[in-house]
Amino acid sequence: MLILTRKPGESLYIGDVKVTIVELKGHQIRIGIDAPPEIRIYREEIYVQILEENKKAAEAATSTSSGLEGLPANWKPRVSGPSAVGSGSGDDAAPKKPSMSGLAAFSTSHGVQGAGSDGDVKGGSSPQVIVKRKRKKSDE
Amino acid sequence: MSDESGAKVPSIVIHSTRFGDLEVPAASVIEFPSGLIGFPKATKFVMFDHKPPFSWLHSAEDPSLAFVVVDGFEFAPEFTLKPPYGDRDSDLQEGDEYAILVIVTVRPDPKQTTANLKAPLFVNLKNRKGVQVIYDNPKFSTRFSLWVEPAEGEEKKAEPTAPAGADLKDKK
Repeated sequence: MLILTRKPGESLYIGDVKVTIVELKGHQIRIGIDAPPEIRIYREEIYVQILEENKKAAEAATSTSSGLEGLPANWKPRVSGPSAVGSGSGDDAAPKKPSMSGLAAFSTSHGVQGAGSDGDVKGGSSPQVIVKRKRKKSDE
Repeated sequence: MSDESGAKVPSIVIHSTRFGDLEVPAASVIEFPSGLIGFPKATKFVMFDHKPPFSWLHSAEDPSLAFVVVDGFEFAPEFTLKPPYGDRDSDLQEGDEYAILVIVTVRPDPKQTTANLKAPLFVNLKNRKGVQVIYDNPKFSTRFSLWVEPAEGEEKKAEPTAPAGADLKDKK
């Protein structure tokens, strides 16, 4: 790690990013950063929190005992379901933008079966998209 | 692959430890040029249905990497975010249409299913490029609980979610 000594009011550049020591305040140091908008700046603790939550989400999603399979059939999450998206609640605060449904590679009426289940995944609401499920060696 | 008119559509095959091999249209790939936070190499994904309203966001490169996501607009109006206009990865500009994907952390006990409202994914619908954005705002939790008690008996309309203006903060 490169260590430099700076006084309040002095700056340094990291590439295009200018870092200024603004003020010393007891145990706290105020730092000013001038950076192009595409540079993302995070406090470390928040960055680490997101990193850990991403990893947890990925682990949970790919583990075989995903809790979503065991949900009661009549369960609804605190969000309101795809049909509500873009329906225009009339609320000014809600941005009216297309939902993420346009992003899907394909759509099925009841999701994709987990590994080990038989059969092809059939295109549901977007029949133009044919999804072939190739057999894995382990399935044989 | 071919579309409804029979024309050939370029396709790719993605490998999945969970679903086997899936052939999807090449144009359906969603790209995150910087990857996701903690997964800098995971730049290409495809999305498909999970149990509604959830979707899978599956890596097109890593067979064992997938996320469960839910539409961020589901959380409106409380969950109103300033899109990352000018971001280099997504090239999102004012006026562009975009999707917000919120990553869900599924746990063996479904009552503990949470959504990460602090770091949603923005995808520019024009070029299907996206970026994970962190909102350093205590109002948004990384573990917003999605659980509500299921309605008893016949199919009921979902209970209203949080009251308007309520914080999307949640217990840990």
